[in-house]
Amino acid sequence: MTGAAPDRLAEVRAALATVIDPETGHDLVAMGMIYAVELEGDLLRVTMTTTIRGCPMAELLRAGAEAALAGLPGIARAEVRLTWDPPWTPARIGAGIGL
Amino acid sequence: MPGKHLARWTLSWFASALLCLVLALALALVAAPAPGEWRRGVGLALLHLAAIGWLSQAMIGALIQFLPVLLARPLLWPGLSLAALLLTGPGAGLLALGFLGLEGWPPGLTLLAVAPLPLGLAFLLVMTLAAGPLVAARGWRDATGRMVILALVALGLAWLGGAGMARMLAGAGGFTLPADLLPFHVTLGAAGWLGLAAMGVSYRLFAMFLLAPDPTGPLRPATALLALLMIAALALGMARGAAGGAASPALAAMAAAAAVALLYLADLSRLWRSRNRPRPEVNMRMSRPSLCFLALAAGLAPFAIRQGGALAEAAVFAALIGWLSTLTLAQMVKIVSFLTWIQIFAPRIGRGPLPLVQDLVDEPAARRWLLLWLAGAALGTLALLAGQPAAFRAAIACLLIAALGLLRLLWQIRRLARLAPGRHPGPLPPLFLPPQTKAQP
Repeated sequence: MTGAAPDRLAEVRAALATVIDPETGHDLVAMGMIYAVELEGDLLRVTMTTTIRGCPMAELLRAGAEAALAGLPGIARAEVRLTWDPPWTPARIGAGIGL
Repeated sequence: MPGKHLARWTLSWFASALLCLVLALALALVAAPAPGEWRRGVGLALLHLAAIGWLSQAMIGALIQFLPVLLARPLLWPGLSLAALLLTGPGAGLLALGFLGLEGWPPGLTLLAVAPLPLGLAFLLVMTLAAGPLVAARGWRDATGRMVILALVALGLAWLGGAGMARMLAGAGGFTLPADLLPFHVTLGAAGWLGLAAMGVSYRLFAMFLLAPDPTGPLRPATALLALLMIAALALGMARGAAGGAASPALAAMAAAAAVALLYLADLSRLWRSRNRPRPEVNMRMSRPSLCFLALAAGLAPFAIRQGGALAEAAVFAALIGWLSTLTLAQMVKIVSFLTWIQIFAPRIGRGPLPLVQDLVDEPAARRWLLLWLAGAALGTLALLAGQPAAFRAAIACLLIAALGLLRLLWQIRRLARLAPGRHPGPLPPLFLPPQTKAQP
């Protein structure tokens, strides 16, 4: 995470951990799906992925992550974007936030 | 329905397929021919109700759902799916009724001559739908795409052989083919179309369900090459047979089919060992024993093609009922629960606690019914090998009870029966039809 204090990272991590991949039962952070978190003032930008590019849940998980982050104090706007570069692999399970 | 890449009609395909399965088993309970007599009209009727009505419809429903997911490209003209569905189910019914013409029911022969037409049109529509993701994603460069392309080629050839033989049996003029092409038609349908499609989809779907890495290396290209050789040998055999030629390459085709099965089993074994999911769900645990039937069918195939009779019947039964049907039923439990979850809960992601997909499934019941299905498949295969009509009928009874049990289980998943009423978010979606889409302003 760039541009934020460690306590903000913990808040963001906790919010993203409430978004569960319903198929595996693991949250986005535990699955290693969060590639980057950037804070610019009160704008939070998150880059995430899904297990497969054609995942039918992709847009729903993205919107869910945005909804989970929207309630954080001090965040006026949360933008979550999807990327599949690099593609997710099972080796990312437990990798936490970041590439 | 929310979600990109979700096919609207998959659950309707599954419902139509399950209806044909229950119908085929109920009719088999009272009218199944004795072992060794499955080339009679009633046997062919039941076989086609199972192979096209049940397995092919379930496979098409899965393909239109998962090809866009696995290849990340949309279907071409998704609206064709409903037209294909409306042609396939009734087409399978007409064909089954048509075969009763061989039992002395005269209208049946007319139906037998025309039934291939709606089925051919339906398969053409399915190929058009599948062409979207397969062409856009250059499917021939992908393990799943390659196998599905070969499966669709086999479907076309199986239809061609079947249509020609049906018209010959019906005494129709024009395009006909001799009935001794039956082994080629059966192998193209079971090993080619259904088998290769199941293998292609399972490559990546199983990796997803097991959280296993996609394997690299020469195994999958080699499997596809052998599958291509199998189809080429079967096509050549049909062409020679149609021209009245001899020196059939059937044995070479069966050897290639057995080699494809062997490599596929090695592939899945590697996938299972590399999984990151210590305790897989019931769909994967119960798919494993189905692979024993694949090994059995592949082992019997080279002998079955030479001897025919009971050996051939047992090989086809092991492949269609033991392997493909068990696999389809087990994965249907997962797919139906997954699609139901997305329909109902996906819009609430990130807005509070939600149940998991597996919370919707009564896993002990699923395991129980699938075990009964496997027992019926094993008993049926043995009964055909041993020529025991009473044991075969008992096997059909097991299969029917198991199918009804699984049907009830799927209904419970759709109605969220495992969740406390307080966790039901408002009205539930229709059982198997897609929800009505609201008109855009």
